[in-house]
Order: sequence, then C-alpha cells, then structure tokens
Amino acid sequence: MVVKIRLARFGRRKAPFYNIVVAQARTARNSKPIEVLGTYDPIPKPPADGEGKPFKDIRLDTARAKYWLGVGAQPSDPAWRLLSMAGLLIPKYRPSATPTPATAASIIPEASVSADKGVNAVV
Amino acid sequence: MPPSLRLPSVLSSTPCGAHQLCRSTGQSSRPFSTTLRHDHRVTRARRGLFRWLSLQGENFRNPLSGSTNYLGAYDNRSGVLRRVQEAELRNTLERQNGEAKPEKTGEQSAEEKSKIPPEEPRDRVPFPQNKSFLSQAVLSEELREEIWSRVMKEGQSVREVSVTLRVEMSRVGAVVRLKEVEKEWKRIGKPLARPYAQAVMSMLPQTPFDPSKPDAHGSHESINDLPVHASTGQQIFHPTSESRHFTRLDAAKVFNKRLLPADDRIPHPELVIQHRERVIDGLTVEERKERAELRAAEAEEKRERIAAKQAAAEARVKKIDSGRWEFRFTPINADDAGKDGRGHRGIGWRYGVPLYDRSRGQIKIPKSVG
Repeated sequence: MVVKIRLARFGRRKAPFYNIVVAQARTARNSKPIEVLGTYDPIPKPPADGEGKPFKDIRLDTARAKYWLGVGAQPSDPAWRLLSMAGLLIPKYRPSATPTPATAASIIPEASVSADKGVNAVV
Repeated sequence: MPPSLRLPSVLSSTPCGAHQLCRSTGQSSRPFSTTLRHDHRVTRARRGLFRWLSLQGENFRNPLSGSTNYLGAYDNRSGVLRRVQEAELRNTLERQNGEAKPEKTGEQSAEEKSKIPPEEPRDRVPFPQNKSFLSQAVLSEELREEIWSRVMKEGQSVREVSVTLRVEMSRVGAVVRLKEVEKEWKRIGKPLARPYAQAVMSMLPQTPFDPSKPDAHGSHESINDLPVHASTGQQIFHPTSESRHFTRLDAAKVFNKRLLPADDRIPHPELVIQHRERVIDGLTVEERKERAELRAAEAEEKRERIAAKQAAAEARVKKIDSGRWEFRFTPINADDAGKDGRGHRGIGWRYGVPLYDRSRGQIKIPKSVG
C-alpha cells in the first residue's frame, strides 16, 4: 500500500486546521496516521507589529519529512506545495511558468542533481 | 449656578448687562404667541441670577489672562479673587502690627498690589460644589520639549527621564511619541493648531520648566505609585503562625501565586533601593554609584540575554513570501509527541483524545484578561 504525506483536516466549521501527516493512502482522512510531521494553519494571522503581510503558520519537522520522502512517501498536491515552499521538493505548479530543472536548481541547490535522475524528492 | 441665558449676545455687547437683559427677554420674539409670559415674573432664582451676574459674573466677561479663572477661585459674596482678598488682608495686618517699620515695605506693597499672587491648590476647583475635585496641572510646552530632547537627543532612558523630571514613565513615552508626530508635521509643512493649543494651555494649570535651572524643577506627579492589580482587590482572611515573619512577599503569594510582591510591581523599584542604601545602610556616594552601575549592568545583561534568545527563535523561522501571504515555517521535533503520540509537548490535533469544547458547561469566553 502507498504511504502518502497529506493533510488531515481538523478544526471546526469555517476554522480549518491541518495536521501534516504520513499515512497509508487508503485509510480515512482523520484516522490515526503513521506519524504527524507538523501542522498547517491556513487562516492568516495579522502581523504582530501591524506591519508587513498577514502570515500563515506552518510547523514542520524537516528531518522526518526528508526521511519519509526518501523512502518513497508520496505527497498530495497541497502537501507538495507546502514541502516545496520549505525547500524539500521542486514546486509542482508555478503560477507564472512551468518549472524547469534550471529554475528549480536556482531555488534548491540539490534539486539539479535529483532532477537529472528523474526523482523529485530531495533527500 | 446660574441658569443658561437666552441671549448671550446681549450680555457681551452691553456694558450694563443685568437691566438690559431684563427688558430684552421680557419682549417675546413671537408676537402672536399665546403662552403665558413667565419671563415677566421676578422670581427669587431670577434675582439670584442677576445678583450673580453683577458680582462674580463680571469677572468672566473679561477673563483674567494667565489664570485658570475657575469659579472656585472667586469669593462668593464680593466676587473678588480669594487670593487677592487674602493678600490684602495680610498686608493690612502687617501694616497694623509694624507701622514703625521703614518705608521699604511701602514700596514693596505698592509693587505687590499690582501683581496677583500665584494660584494655590484651593484655587483649582472648577466646580465649587465639588470641593474634592482639584484640576491637575498639565505639562508645559517647555517641559514637553525638554522631555523629548532628553530622550531623543541625549539618549537618556525613559526611566531616567521619569525620575529626574518626576513625570510618569507612560506619560514620558506619550510625550515623546506626540512630539515626534508634531515634528514630522512641521517637517512636511502640515499646519498646527497653535492658537487653539495656546488658548487651552492658558486656561489650564501647568507644571513649568525653566531651561536655565533644570535642577530646580519641581515634581509634576507622583511617579512611584503601586498599580492596582485585580488579584489584590479581594479581602482574604489568612491565618498564619505568630512566629512567622510575614512580609509583602508572602502577602503577594497569598493573593495570587504568580503575583509579584509590591516592591517589584512599583514603576521605580530602584528608587527604593537607592533610598535604603542612603538612609539605612549609610553608604558613601562612591559606593552607591558603584552599586547602581552594577545593577544597571546586570539589567542590561538580562535584557540582552532575552533579546538574543528571541532573535535566535526568530532566526529559526523560515519566512516565504507568496505574494499575498507570508508563510512562516517553524521547525519542530516530531518525537516530542512521545512514543504513543500523546505527549503534552507534541503539536497538532491529537488523536484518540476527546475534545470537550462542544459539550455542555464548557466556558469558552476567557475568564480573565491580561
């Protein structure tokens, strides 16, 4: 069975809160996962000093995420988006242009090596 | 207190207000009105009004410049400033007592007669019925400028300026912020409401500041008042043994386990320490200076340690700008949740633990604030 890195929606109605989890693909969304890698709060918080942009809080264990990517866990699209922002993966969808190995390499130094191999995960 | 007037313009324009007002208000402005003209009746209150207008009221038609001109500063019977009356009385008494004294006093009294004696706290009663309400002094323009220059130009701390000029720390902060706004407005050429400010300030008691004698500056307000904490509002009967040395430290703990003792909650605990060193310990100036420097260094070290800790925590957070939002990645350790994933230091929504937030009797609004 496939092991996935995905988001589990908790929280309340109109107040979502996600656990970033490693789980078997066919288990229920909010069932007990193999491991909780972190959390994602999608509700933007106003900046503390009143200056700058509102922020979204993400807590992530990068080392464990790298491990699970290394052993072949497959991130879902939202999880891919977060992990690529954390610098663990090449971005799948870019708003402006399609990713090329060259642009990815400029963001992540190790990405150029893995892109040659045809593997997206940077371990 | 006189009732409100119908035609204030008549009062201000005519020299003999009382009689004129009687006549003009007697004539109704609406000739076909059928309502009874109560205006004609000379009641006691009405007589009182005109008596007041001719005595005390005269003072307020041409208000005394450089004075607060509060109602309480004037004598009820004669309508003269109380402090002027008393000064005259004192002068006459002096003259009676020592008539044989040289003429010098005569010259002095002539000078003093033209000058109005300075205001006393008694003259700062704006509402004569409320004797306990004393109008408090505000910071004068010079004093505000001095506060700003000491903080922003000389780089003194707010605490230091507060102690030397005897102005509360929060007020020092407010003055500096407002002065900055004022200077910014001046820089960009935004007009200031100067005439308004001058008019208001001329009617208020002020704490003066003389730049030529900065050390002789008096106190503006009490700066070391203990702020009232909500936990200390309760009355507690706390029995202790007689042999126990029960101090303020213990009292604070009885009120609230996390409450600091009063000695630490006051705005300037260092003043108490300095006083103790001077009066009780009897230390020399050098020793006190040395200790003060040591304390300052300790405080600075503590502040730097906290700032460094905060900066380190901030540096660990990775910030990514996505255009609309900023995503903040905080590193965590997934093992903190423990073997069973239920450890209290673990993050995220917990599994296998019921959440009671929707069940009955759960209080969701905060019970205490702050």
